[in-house]
This record gives sequence, C-alpha cells and structure tokens, in this order.
Amino acid sequence: MHRITEFFVGLLFGLGLLLSGMTDPAKVLGFLHRFGTWDPSLAFVMGGAIAVGFFAFALAKKRTASFLGGALHLPKSSQIDKRLVLGGLTFGAGWGLAGFCPGPGIVSMASGEVKAAVFVAAMVVGMALFEIAERTGLRRRVGA
Amino acid sequence: MAFLLGMLAAPLVYGLLSPEGFVQAPRIDASFATIVAAGLLVGLGPRYGSGCTSGHGVCGLSRLSPRSLVATLAFMGAGFAMVFVVRHVL
Repeated sequence: MHRITEFFVGLLFGLGLLLSGMTDPAKVLGFLHRFGTWDPSLAFVMGGAIAVGFFAFALAKKRTASFLGGALHLPKSSQIDKRLVLGGLTFGAGWGLAGFCPGPGIVSMASGEVKAAVFVAAMVVGMALFEIAERTGLRRRVGA
Repeated sequence: MAFLLGMLAAPLVYGLLSPEGFVQAPRIDASFATIVAAGLLVGLGPRYGSGCTSGHGVCGLSRLSPRSLVATLAFMGAGFAMVFVVRHVL
C-alpha cells in the first residue's frame, strides 16, 4: 500500500513539474535571467506549491503519524551554517548553468532526453563524490 | 524507490493525457560539457546543503523554516548570478 501511494505521489509530482514548465530548461533559465529578460512566471509555480504545502505541513505538524499510519519525518534541524549556504550556492550555480534541478532532471530523462540522462548521471556522480568527501573527512578541512 | 518510478512514469502519463499523445522534448541549448558540470554541482550542492528547489524552496518555505529561507535565497541568488555571467559576461 505504501509503495502504491509513493508511486502515485511521485507521478503527481512529475506531472506537476511537466505541466508547470519546470522541466523546460529554457523556461527555467528565463526565470533565472533576473538581471536581463526576466520571465517571472515560474515564481507562481513555487508560490502555488507553497500555498498548498503550507496547509499540508500545518496539518502534518499536528499529527504524529501519516494518514497511512507511517512515521512522519519532519526536518528538525534549524541551524543556519556554512554548509547550508555553501550547499545552496553550489546547487544554484549548477541550476543556473543548465536549467535543471534534481526533480525535473529525472522527469526529463524519462521523456527520453539524452542530455537530461547525462545530467542525471553526472548528478549521481556528484552525490557519490559528496559521500566520499564526507567519509574521508574532507569536510573538516573545508571547515564546515 | 516507488516515488522515483512514479516520477519516471510521469512523461508517459502526461503524454497519454495530452492531445499530441507524447511529451514534447524541451530544447536544451547547453553543451554536453556544461550539462556534466551542472549535474555534478546539482548532485553535490543539495547533499551538502540538505535540500534543493523542492526540499528547501517548496517544502521548507511551506513550513516557514528560516533555514530553508536562507538556502532558497542562496540558490536563487547563485542561479541569477550564474545566468547573468553566462549570458552577459562570458
């Protein structure tokens, strides 16, 4: 049952990304072209998602288990540190470079986009590099 | 895992529901080298900063998390800056 719900939630998320234009890098780069020919329309996607999410999370905060009885894992960390900012900057730089963020990259790969598949492969390598860096303690040298 | 499968099924379902019967492939201008560099950064960044556009941008801001607001400002700012550099400086 959980797997089926998970599948449909993923499907819904993917459909939302396709419908809203988040899977179109040209559109995303237009949004990120803030200091040029800015296309602010994708801000409404985020705004719309937050408008729904706000109530969903408000409800989730009052509950101790999900509707299907599973444990709820809400983030507990509230620390604003160097890691958070550097991670955000790194991600933003990559996002601005190609116009893909993780979700839309995965969805576009499934629509048969070769470049999206290359992007996802590189993304997995990036995640693996992070794991390796964490384990070898590179983190301490970076000072995070 | 099932969540990922759902995401991967999205273009197929979207195509079936649309009048054209398939998803129109978006035009991607970036070269393969740029795509690889972008993928590496997008793989690293959200792991290091524990979240991306969905994680911090949508879920975090929905929860009114100050931490996510900082992360969102950071990646939006970096995204704006990167596009500016690519289109106007390079």
